[in-house]
This record gives sequence, C-alpha cells and structure tokens, in this order.
Amino acid sequence: MSSDAIFKLIAQHTVEVIPELEDHAFQRSDSLGNLGANSLDRSEILMMTLEALDLKVPAVKFHGPKNIGELADAIHEQRVAV
Amino acid sequence: MNSALPSDLIISGMGVVSPIGIGIDAFRTGLLRGDHRFAIMQRPGRQTEDSAFLGAECGEIHLPRVPARVLRACSLPGKAALAALDEAWQNARLDGVDPSRIGLIIGGSNLQQRELTLTRQKYAERLAFLRPTYAMTFLDSDLCGLCTDLFPIRGFAYTLGGASAAGQLAVIQAADAVASGRVDVAVAVGALMDLSFWECAGFRAAGAMGSERFAEAPEQACRPFDEQRDGFIFGENCAALVVERAETSAQRGAAPRGLLRGTAVVMDGNRYPNPNADGEVRVIREALQAADLKPGEIDYINPHGTGSPLGDKTESEALLQCGLEHAPLNTTKSLTGHGLCAAGAVEIAATLVQMEAGRLHPSRNLDAPMNGALNFVGATARVQNVHNALCLSYGFGGVNTAVCLQNPRG
Repeated sequence: MSSDAIFKLIAQHTVEVIPELEDHAFQRSDSLGNLGANSLDRSEILMMTLEALDLKVPAVKFHGPKNIGELADAIHEQRVAV
Repeated sequence: MNSALPSDLIISGMGVVSPIGIGIDAFRTGLLRGDHRFAIMQRPGRQTEDSAFLGAECGEIHLPRVPARVLRACSLPGKAALAALDEAWQNARLDGVDPSRIGLIIGGSNLQQRELTLTRQKYAERLAFLRPTYAMTFLDSDLCGLCTDLFPIRGFAYTLGGASAAGQLAVIQAADAVASGRVDVAVAVGALMDLSFWECAGFRAAGAMGSERFAEAPEQACRPFDEQRDGFIFGENCAALVVERAETSAQRGAAPRGLLRGTAVVMDGNRYPNPNADGEVRVIREALQAADLKPGEIDYINPHGTGSPLGDKTESEALLQCGLEHAPLNTTKSLTGHGLCAAGAVEIAATLVQMEAGRLHPSRNLDAPMNGALNFVGATARVQNVHNALCLSYGFGGVNTAVCLQNPRG
C-alpha cells in the first residue's frame, strides 16, 4: 500500500473520530492537532490505522511526524521495514 | 447517621431515562398507566449462546446538542447521564449559576460492565490494537469528565459507590453538600448500571436475579411483594436530581419539585447481600427523626421492593415494626425494573412525579401480596394527595438509606 493510500486511510479514521470533519478536504499538510484532534484522538486515529494495516509497531515510533502526510510516510516506512 | 436538613432544602429539577419513558413527561405517563418493557434482553453483551436473561431495556436516547465526536466514545451510562442531567438542568434553569458553586455526584460504581465485556471480546486476540480510549472509558469517573465537559460544573464531581443504594446515597450526599455550604447547587445522578451477561449470571447464581419461574412470561417476571416473586429483574434506568436551597432556585424562577426533610444512612455491619430488618428499622426511624415526623404522618412509601424473596419479606417486617402499615405503597420496580445503583434516584423522581399528579401508580403483578397488613396500591392507579413521603433503598454489603420528602404545595 502506498503512502497516499495510507494518507486516505488516516483521513477516513480522522472523520470516524471527529465526525464534524466529514466535509473537510484533507491535505497531506493538514496536522491532526490543527484539525481539532486532542492527544487521545490522535492516538485513536493512529491505532485504528495500524489495526487496519495489521501493523504491530509501538506507537512511540510515530511521535515525530508534523502532519498527516509525514505520518503516512512514517507508517509506510515501518510497513516496508516489517 | 441521620441528617436534619435546613428547612428550605429542595429538589428543583429532575431528569429521567427509564424503560417506560425518557424524560419526566413520558415517565409520568408510563408510571400512571402501569407500563413496562420486560422481555428477554437484546442489547449486545447481555446474553450468552444459551442464556435468556430477562430485563427492561430503555429506548433510544437522543442527544441532539451533544457533539458527534463526544457521542462516538460515549457508553450507554454516559448517554443516559447526559440526557437526565440535561433535562434536570433545564428544569432547574441552572444556566447562569456560578459554575464554581455547582457540584456533581454520580451515584454508582462498576457502571460500564457491558461495554468492557464487548471490548475485551473484540480485542482478546488483538491486544496490540486495543483502542487508546479504553484507558479513559473503563473508569466510572469518565462520567464525571463527560458531564463536566459538557455542562458548566466546576465545584466538584465524583462517583459514589453504594450498590443498590448508590442513587439515594448520591442524593443524600448532595443534600449534605448544599446544607454545609460547600456548593449552592448539587446535582445527584443515579447512574445507569450497564450489566453484561457476567453480572447477570452472577446475580442469578447468587439467587438475587429472577426469573426462572417466569422465563416463558417475561411480562410477569417482575413482581415485588407478590407470593410468586423469585428475584429482581434488571432495568436500564438513570435519574438526575438538582438539590439546592429554595432561595437560590427562586432567584432563577425555578419552582421546587419537592422538599428534602430528612435523610439517614445506616450500615448493618454485613458484607453480604442478605437484608437486615434491624438496619432497615433503624434507618427508617432515623430518617423520620431527622425530618421531625411521626410514622402516622407518612402518607406514601416508595419501598426498595425488588422482588427478592427474602428482601421483600424483611422489608415488610421492618415497615410494620415502624408503624407504617397505614401508608400507601406501590412498587416502582414492577414498571421500571431494578435500576440497581440508579434505583434510589429514579424512585425519588417517581415519588415527586406522583406527588405532583396527586395519584399513585399501579403495582404490576402484585396478584397475591405476601403481606396483607401493608397498604399496597394494586393494579390500578389510586388518587392520593401525598404530603410526606418516605423513600427507601438497600444495597449489598449492608447499606440502608432513607429519604423523607415533603410536598411543596402542601
């Protein structure tokens, strides 16, 4: 799965956690925090995405990314590494 | 331990979620009509492959003002608490009250067992993907966070355990918090206890939950004080009650729904589920003393009356020992089911609703009252002006509570 496909998966889970974003046009440059996701929301979105990908990697591996695009890239790299 | 309360302590707002109606108006209609929703329970997590536990489940709870993102991770007890609190809040016109002078007590513990069971089933083989929100939602006190996140309550908020007396215990604590001046307004919530099949099986194994006898006739299963009773039948219930002084409610134009005259809490010194007539007699006498009332002045009793073979027998004996045989009583749980930690709060709401209506609701399935000396309301509602009411709650672990309420309209 490409980084873009993972980005779409993250966007889908973000809408699931914050239904108010249903009509938002997600960009790779969007940060989850700026979209209104608190720390627990962000953990939830990440875990839902890891579960969808069946990727068992500690969440601490994804503390660096500043936006959804970078998070998608980081998850993609971990998938490749695993 | 009894509490003689200030003479102007009142309940100024009420909200209810119950199987017979969501909202006070629907609840009143359901009560006075003698409605019920007893059936084999259908909610996910309530049954195993070979169980058929009976109970009364409530209808869908609508929360149009609660953001969708909050509702996504909101348990059934959370939704019920929000609905009851919202109704009570509007009813008491609490908008504009200094938030730091409002407190919240959530009566109940181990509230979200069904949600926990479902989560554990889902992630048993996939623990690595357990949702992070579980760290928040498994806590009973998540209900405190939820309610204070959405309502301007900044004084205090905590949960309060007391088994099946927890709802009434919350009201008693709310009364004490206002009487002491700690806050101006205290909201007591008797929380919905969301049982999973584990708790149902445990209660059944302990002989507390019925009904094997009426397994094929769920509508007949819940029958407090009847000769054929074989245990309590669960019901999904929740109530919120706003406690304050008459003076503060009058400033907002909120009319008193009931006066809180006296309360009492008494422990049996017994860890186990069995009731104790001495404890029940003591709590009734202490509450009457706190309210400065004689037994003959009580003109309505809302008993604990669960349908427990021993519990109802013990309660009947205690009522007779206290000289209360004259007072009309009915069985709210025969309509709502046993709300466990919610019951005491829901039944105070039921008492106030009946005071206002000047009618006592019917008792379902009381075909052969086990004690002919008590003045039960039978299968039809009865016209009755209630001036002084006595509400009783008893819980596992030897906790007994009593509250005396007075009609503010005389």
